[in-house]
Amino acid sequence: MADRIANVSWSGSLIEGSGTIERVGSGAFGPLEVSWAARAEDSDGRTSPEELIAAAHATCFSMALSHGLAQAGMPADRLESSATVTFVPGTGITKIALSVRGSVPGMDEAAFGAAAQAAKENCPVSKALAAVPEITLDASLS
Amino acid sequence: MPRIVREATVAWEGTVSRGSGVVRASSSGAFDLPVTIASRIADPEGKTSPEELLAAAHATCFVTSLGGELAKAGTPPERLDVHCTITMDEVEGMGHRIVSSAISARGSAAGADAASFAQAAEAADAGCPFSALIKASATVAIDAKLEGGT
Repeated sequence: MADRIANVSWSGSLIEGSGTIERVGSGAFGPLEVSWAARAEDSDGRTSPEELIAAAHATCFSMALSHGLAQAGMPADRLESSATVTFVPGTGITKIALSVRGSVPGMDEAAFGAAAQAAKENCPVSKALAAVPEITLDASLS
Repeated sequence: MPRIVREATVAWEGTVSRGSGVVRASSSGAFDLPVTIASRIADPEGKTSPEELLAAAHATCFVTSLGGELAKAGTPPERLDVHCTITMDEVEGMGHRIVSSAISARGSAAGADAASFAQAAEAADAGCPFSALIKASATVAIDAKLEGGT
């Protein structure tokens, strides 16, 4: 069992106030400023829940794909993944687009596509976010 | 309604057990962080993980919603402190799953009382898009208390 923690503070209203991701359990990042304007308009160098979700999903997907390829006897030299989260205020998170370019010696496109699809379906963050209406995948060898 | 798009990228080299990656907040440039599977499952050793990033996402999402709800009630917060713990566990037959997200919120807001603060926290949970999503697959627990309330 692994617990992971984060602490965030906020002062003021939603629109005029601002907050700080003070610290996370690992100490890997923080303090990071956050605000509604940065979340809903121009990021202006500030992160947001949606960007953090994108970071979590891209990382989880990369690990699952790397693991799947290694198990199939085809370890990747390099994987470049991204996750793009679309948020519509008042509606919610409507879409996550995953993309990956892989350098995998000896592997063909079809097998890589199947491994990427399996990683997309099975990584714990995908399972946790299964209620997102649309999660797409674009996978190819580089 | 405007569509808001946020992106992050990961570059990964090598296998899961021996490899490592770097996750970058590419929309904002706010962070650029190393990740490994060992630090995800066992001791973090100063490295973040998908679950820690989700804890930061949920805490940030919830705190903005709570600030919004308190302001809507005419009692904007002087300060809110939100702590989120995401738990991943091995579930029999299903492998590793994110099983819960526990939010603890403490705050001060002039004019709010214990009941109105609790009500705002309930509305914040309902209004935070991350809470809505993760409830479909995991338990969400909210513990909210007003500090030094009137």
